[in-house]
Amino acid sequence: MFYRLSGVHHSSYKSDRKMFPVPADRNLVVFLLILGIAAPFLVPSLYLNSYMLPWLIWTAAVLGLNLVTGWAGQLHLGYAAVMAVGAYSAVHAAKFGIPWEFALLIGGLASSVIGSLFAFTALRVKGLYLALTTLAMQFVMDWVLTHSPAISGGSHASLQSPTFALLGQKITSDAGLYYVALGWCVLVTIFMLNLKRTGLGRALVAVREKDFAAAILGVNSFYYKVVAFAASSFIAGVTGAILVATFYFLAAPEQFAVNVSIQVLAMVIIGGLGSIIGSYLGAALILLVPGIVNKIFSGGADVIGLNLGIETLAHIPNAAYGALIVIFLMVEPLGLGKLYANVRDYLMVWPFDQLKK
Amino acid sequence: MTEVQSSSNTDTPVLECIDIERRFGGLVAVTGVDFKIRKGEIFGLVGPNGSGKTTLTNAITGFYPPNVGSIILDGKDITGTAPHKVAGMGVARTFQNLALFNGMSVLDNILLGRHIHMNPGVISTALYWWLARPEEIANREIVEEVIDFLQLESIRHELVDGIPIGLKKRVELARALVAEPHLLILDEPMAGMNQEEKEYMARFILDARAERGVSVLLIEHHMDVITGICDQVLALNYGEMIATGTPQDVIKDPRVIEAYIGGSHGE
Repeated sequence: MFYRLSGVHHSSYKSDRKMFPVPADRNLVVFLLILGIAAPFLVPSLYLNSYMLPWLIWTAAVLGLNLVTGWAGQLHLGYAAVMAVGAYSAVHAAKFGIPWEFALLIGGLASSVIGSLFAFTALRVKGLYLALTTLAMQFVMDWVLTHSPAISGGSHASLQSPTFALLGQKITSDAGLYYVALGWCVLVTIFMLNLKRTGLGRALVAVREKDFAAAILGVNSFYYKVVAFAASSFIAGVTGAILVATFYFLAAPEQFAVNVSIQVLAMVIIGGLGSIIGSYLGAALILLVPGIVNKIFSGGADVIGLNLGIETLAHIPNAAYGALIVIFLMVEPLGLGKLYANVRDYLMVWPFDQLKK
Repeated sequence: MTEVQSSSNTDTPVLECIDIERRFGGLVAVTGVDFKIRKGEIFGLVGPNGSGKTTLTNAITGFYPPNVGSIILDGKDITGTAPHKVAGMGVARTFQNLALFNGMSVLDNILLGRHIHMNPGVISTALYWWLARPEEIANREIVEEVIDFLQLESIRHELVDGIPIGLKKRVELARALVAEPHLLILDEPMAGMNQEEKEYMARFILDARAERGVSVLLIEHHMDVITGICDQVLALNYGEMIATGTPQDVIKDPRVIEAYIGGSHGE
């Protein structure tokens, strides 16, 4: 049903390797894209800019981290630090008078250089040791930001971001900023979709699954791990810059602290390692569900006339939210993306119940 | 399929191992091993468990470089070269315990065998339609030839995790063959197979040599396979060469019989 494959015949290798070989997938994506473009006309601007926009930006960030953690299989606990490099470089470049298009590029490249330099040294160790080394990078970056007034303006200061502009047009409207976030998120998504069908993506998965087998096929695992870090850092840098330019409007060290790194990693794991749709869902769950749970609980307490203390009201949603994550991961340890894939696989063969696992 | 380029001198062996020794701490896994594989030859490597067969292949492919001795591939010394570079020089291998990449389709696994002939990168991935697609399609055509040759058409798009072991072994052979190697190292390609699957596999190995001119280093325990398809055989025991020559000579060698079956206890 919906996703049926009968009648879908690919007669060339080109069409067999289309981005969405199943027509239903393509139709769904087109539909969602139209919704995304129409969102400023459908959604009140408060929701647009405080929920939709950050969700799209964080999704781009999650996709970038997924490149390193989901595809290349390297645990990365310093992702926010890499985003910070991009954000600060871009804001400084923009303040210097460089147009934003180039400032974003500078941010991405700065992150990429620092990320790959770091990877070059850190990748001498593997697994949990690498995870701890990336955590060290996070702390080093935190320290540098809070202790160098030239970069951040000092420990409690923040750096005002110049008004965002593209092609000489200042972008200040809610819809305009939203479209910037949407555009970037779509670009990153297209890159990740391409990764699923190119030699680079295959080499990264090979490195993740069995590095000795990758080596005998001629895949230099060290090189491809560094490439993964460089590409992911570029995405992180530009995403960090866009986050500051369109959402926070100022850069401060605590926006890129260690808890942010953990949060992005949580989005990746809950969404599903190596899953693109999962990146969207994971970011949504971590970012949007706390607010929703909060509303449900305070609203629910009002309805049944329960007089809950302010303390209790603040803590119950947190507990419920934590429980929700545990439940999701118990139902499907491979994440929300896999949950979606299960439904899709089921519908593909419906009404026959040969559920592909 | 183009013929594999022959080295300048046709008499140059594809692989020559000179006095190989590999130790792990105090344990001598392989010592004093000396042999040549000529072009187009199927060379059998036999020996009881733990006799150093896999260590020897690991020495050749660069995972555990030999402590003593040298390895000459197509007239070039490759002793101590990293595995990913050895692959680029025309050596492909399969593993005793299968080393396919789970979570990928059969097709993607085999496409990975083309890695050394491709040039993947971030930019070409970002600009897939202009940069990566022509290369992907050209390599797909070569992969499809091998899929056709090994009769894997029906499982092309299956995830490799779920297919039976006999087919997994065949997918691994396909992945090694698409790299167009000069030397193909097969580490127990028939382990765990029934008679029919074994016959299929033996036929594929013979055809691969006939059609692609590949030389084969074959590790096997099945003596019927060794005598059936090998041109030369080397027997190892406790890391040392105990016999070498044609299969018929080697299986008659009393030391080989003793190593495999045990010494005679009669008076």
